[in-house]
Parts: sequence; structure tokens; C-alpha cells
Amino acid sequence: MNIWELIIQQPVINILIVMSHYLADNFGLAIIALTVIVNLILLPLTMSQIRSSKKMQDLQPRLVDLQKKYAKDKQKLAQEQMKLYKESGVRPAGCALTMIIQMPVWIALYQAIMLALAVAPEGLLNLSKYLYPWQVVYSVLPLNPDFLVMNLAQPNLILALLVGVTMWLQQKMSMTTQTDPKQAQQANMMLWMMPILFAYMALNFTSGLSLYWVTSSVFRIILQYRVTGWGGLRRQAPTPASDSDKKYLKFQAAQEKKSKEDTGTDIVITDNDSSKKGTRIIKTDKYKFQPDKDRERHRKK
Amino acid sequence: MENTVNLKNKTRVGLLVLLVIAILAIGLVGSGCVRGLAPIGWSGGTVSSGTLYVGSNEGRLVAINLADESRQWAETLKAVTQSGLFGCAPTGGGGCGAGTQRVAIYGTPVVAGDLVYIAGYNGKIYAYNISNLAMRWAYPREGNLQPFVSGLVEAGGKLFIGCSDGMVYALDSTTGDKLWEFKTDEKIWGTPAIDGDTIYIGSFDKKLYALNVADGKKKWEFVTEGAIISTPLVYNGTIYIGSFDRNLYAVNAIDGKLKWKFMGGNWFWAEPAVFNDIIYAGSLDGSVYVLKSDSGEKIKSFDLKSAVSSQPVIVDSSVIFANRKGVIYSIATGSQDIKQIADLKTDVDGPLTVYEGIVYIHTQQLELQRINAASGTLYSPVSLKG
Repeated sequence: MNIWELIIQQPVINILIVMSHYLADNFGLAIIALTVIVNLILLPLTMSQIRSSKKMQDLQPRLVDLQKKYAKDKQKLAQEQMKLYKESGVRPAGCALTMIIQMPVWIALYQAIMLALAVAPEGLLNLSKYLYPWQVVYSVLPLNPDFLVMNLAQPNLILALLVGVTMWLQQKMSMTTQTDPKQAQQANMMLWMMPILFAYMALNFTSGLSLYWVTSSVFRIILQYRVTGWGGLRRQAPTPASDSDKKYLKFQAAQEKKSKEDTGTDIVITDNDSSKKGTRIIKTDKYKFQPDKDRERHRKK
Repeated sequence: MENTVNLKNKTRVGLLVLLVIAILAIGLVGSGCVRGLAPIGWSGGTVSSGTLYVGSNEGRLVAINLADESRQWAETLKAVTQSGLFGCAPTGGGGCGAGTQRVAIYGTPVVAGDLVYIAGYNGKIYAYNISNLAMRWAYPREGNLQPFVSGLVEAGGKLFIGCSDGMVYALDSTTGDKLWEFKTDEKIWGTPAIDGDTIYIGSFDKKLYALNVADGKKKWEFVTEGAIISTPLVYNGTIYIGSFDRNLYAVNAIDGKLKWKFMGGNWFWAEPAVFNDIIYAGSLDGSVYVLKSDSGEKIKSFDLKSAVSSQPVIVDSSVIFANRKGVIYSIATGSQDIKQIADLKTDVDGPLTVYEGIVYIHTQQLELQRINAASGTLYSPVSLKG
């Protein structure tokens, strides 16, 4: 037995088998219980990552400031951003790190599920070498693969879809608003790519593994909700205008005076508080920026 | 500066793509790291009139003339087409997503009269003409049952087999018509044994059953503490059978009462061998236990350094064992000494076959290895590739 089998695979297999025995010989319940335990063990890491995402969200106005300030010096901008992240205790790579740490658990669980369910006779034969010398382990095998109306040893379309949906929900909730369009594009790509990829994998692997993924995602959705609420799922609440936002509005107005060719261009103003300060909100779908007409209307006033 | 920014963006996208590919790759490699996720098969061989019949890992019956090594192949077994929107039916080969449609064959072929029989993991039993390996009949004629891991046995014009659906089937060996069936509570993977008018078979439901050959009526059942997958050995009115509770049981063939049991370090997967009232039982703990057949008293044990899952054979006065790593041992029944006679350096799971002093071993490499049991000489293997 190699190190991987000794440290990861063997314990996971035996724990699953024993849990299955004590959960009314229900392997599905054993998978769910083990998932919750694994996620509880990884809880500090997960919470740190969720909080980090929330801090990242809170930092957005300051990041915008930095982008304006160092618009012409990208290197300096990157340095200042990293400095800001460091000062605020934000780890941009936290999500990937959590995922990478969980990966061995997924693989071990997948292997454990496949072996414990005796999907193939060779699997059952190989399983024997992983068993601890506990009577309960020997007497309970091979495990019953039926869970609700599913066979956990076979792929299942509904569970595969659930994998995709719950993963999307969880990612969407944890998404931070990106000010950089390219980063926003990448985040959006990941938002869709990962759930699709995992749903595809779920369609090809045993549904026991899908059950692990779904439970894991639901667990993280609950955690995310407790820390950030619905997060990215809810429409972004407007934030009070910072000084930089005010400058931005002025900057747009200055442009208005100069340009005569921009007729028809949309003006987007998202600053709610501006109305309180006497600035009129222009709804984009109804109003078009027409420099000549607008200027004349202004003069009449 | 603009170039640097573009480069950074490209690097980020590249890293993202790499991450996704890494996840996919690890997932796939992870699945491949485990042996036994896809059914492959471990059919043993049967020799009849100088021809050895074996179910190859390509999913077809192969007939080898042992005199001139000429080979003949039957048609490849057809896998079950996957069905169902909300799940996949068990296939003959790799199952869903395994990417193969080979039908695994676990049971050793059986020859009776002018027919040779084989059961596939696709849930079908086939009868072929011995002369040309043309199919005579298949059971069931339409559709498929659950996978067959059990082997067939033939007696008095009847075929008997256990199925993964938990049933024991008795078929007419000439026509393939079902004569009777008997239901157990779990899968059956073990091959039955017949003695007189009784058929003995173990089930995953932890019971050993004794059934009437004529009509399938239960005579008695014996309950163990673990699932049963091994084939019963019938000797001198006693049934010897291993269970997943790590015990080897000796049960009275008449009434199903326990005579004795012996606990090993792991499962007794393969059928034991018996010679001169001594039981030789290989265990997945890597040992061969030598026990007195009447009392279960341990005489000796041998460490074969790897799990023993293959059914041994007796050649003259020696018992030949193979461990899963392909090392072949010979135990002298007189002196109870063991010696290594060959190392095939390949995995061996299936039962051994002996014919005229030569031990035939079907390996995972689509080959039939041949060893002279007396001298340990390793002859060139016979390819089973069609």
C-alpha cells in the first residue's frame, strides 16, 4: 500500500463503511454524513475564504480609487492593489487553494465509493486490502447502493444537474463585483465553466460522488448565506458615492460640453445618493444623451 | 506597458484554463488510479477432448487446441445498451463512462455433450457448438438479466447458475429453457456446487443454501456473518465455504449444521482444495491455511506474500497456488513443504486449470500462461487475442 492509500484512501473507505453500518446500512446517508464531517474539518479554511471574498467586496470602492489614481501606471496599480489586499488580509487565491485542498478528498471519496459499492467484482476483490481488521467492516460488506430511488453506483442525471445548479448558486453567491472588465469576464467564465464541468463529470462518475458534491455545495451555500447573505445572487445594493464617484460624474459632465458627436450615447448613472444632492437620475432606457438639445433645455431653465 | 498588461491578462486566462484542465485531469486520473472500477473478467479454463475453452477479456469464448495451439473464437458477446434518462443500466463492460463496451466473463466455461456454455457480465448465458463455436442458444432470448459473475455447473441435462439479481436459475442444457428459479435476498456471485441431488450456493445475503436439483426447493440454509462469494467445496458429506466474515465454515451437507469454523486474516475468496482429508484454503490475507478437514485444526500456514484469490489445482500430490501478483507456488501434500515454481509477473485472479501436468493460467494480458507443475518450466504463453 502506498502513502496515498495508507493515509487517505484506507481511512476514508473504513469510515464510510462503519458510518454506513451505524446509519441503518444506508450508504447515501453515510456519504452525506462524511461530507458534513469533511466540510466541518475544512470549516476554518472555508470561512477564511468566504470572509476574504467579503472583504474583497468591501474593498471595491478603494480599488476603484486606486484604478483611477494609477490609471497610467499598471505596475504601480498592481503593487498598490496587492498592498491593499495584504493590509486588509485578503487572499485572492483563497478559493483556488480551498478547492485544491479538497481535491484529494474528492478523489479518495470517489475511489472509496467505487470500491465499497463493489461496482465491479475486481473492485470488491481490491477492497479487501483496504479493510481494517474490525468485524463490523467485514460483516457489512458489500454495501447496499440504493439511496432513495437512485443507485449510487451508477451515474444519475438528476444528481448531475443538482451538482451544476448548487455549484452555480454557491459560486454566484460568493462572487465579488469586479471593477476590471477583464476580471469580470474571467469570473463570469468561471461561474459557468465550473458548474458545467462538474455536472459533466457527475454524469460520467458514480452518483455517490455527485451526492458528495451536492451536499458539499449546499453546506457552503448555508455558510455563505450566514456570512454574506445572498451575496451575488441579489441585485447589488447601491453604495454611497465616494469622492471618486463624484469626480467621475463631474468628469462625464465635462465631456458633455466638449462632445457634439456622441448623440445617442447612453448615460449610465448608478449613484442613488446623487438625487438627494439635487442631481437628477437619468434612466438609461428612456433617455439618450443628446448634447445640443440637452444644452438648450438647460439654457431655458 | 500595454504589452505587459495584455501579457498578464493572457497569463490569467491561461491559468484559469490550466486550473480547469487540472481538475478534469485529476478527476480522470483519480478514477484510473483505482484497480477494479471496470469489470474485466477472470474466467478460468475447461479442458475437453484436448481443447481448452476459456472466456477471454475481449468478451468472447476462445477454444485452443492444446496439441497444435490452433485457436478458434466465438462471436464477441454484445454489451447491454445503456438506457434510461435518469440513470444507466449496468453494461457488460465498463459501465457508464468507463468508455468500453467489452463484456467481462468471470465464470469458467462448461462443456457437456456437443455444447460449451458460458455466462457473461451482460446478463446472458450462451451455448455454442463445440465443433465451430456457432451459437446454439442464449438465455434469456430477449433482453438481459443482471450481470453474471457466477460460473455455470451442469448435471443431468440441467445447467445451474447464480445471478446478480439474487436468483438461482436452472436451465435445460439442450434448449436453454428455464426449468426453475430460486430467489435469495441479495446478489449471487459464487458458482454453485452439486453433489447428488443437491445444489449448494452462497449469496450476498450471508446464507449458504442447499436446494433440490429437481425443482429448486430449499432443503436448508446456513447463516454466516458475512456475504458469501466463494464456491462451496463438497467433500465427504461436508460443505466447506468461505464467508466475508473471514471464516471458513464446515457445514454438514445433510442438515446444514455447523461442524467447525476457522477464522483467517481476511476473506476466503476462492474455493479451497482438498487432498487426503486435508483442506488447503487460500485467503486474501496472503496465507494458505492447511486444516484438518474433520476438525478444522490448523496444521500449518504458508505466507504467499500477496492475496490469494485464485482457485488452486491439485497436480499429482501437490497443490498449486497462485497469488494475485502472479507468483506460483507448489505445496507438497506429503511433507507440507512449499516452493515457488514460477513468477508470471502479472496479475492473476482467475482459477487455475490443469491438464496433463501443465497448469494453465488466464492472465489480464489476454494470454494463457503455461507452467509445468513438476519442473516449474514456463512455456511460451498462448495469446487469446482475436
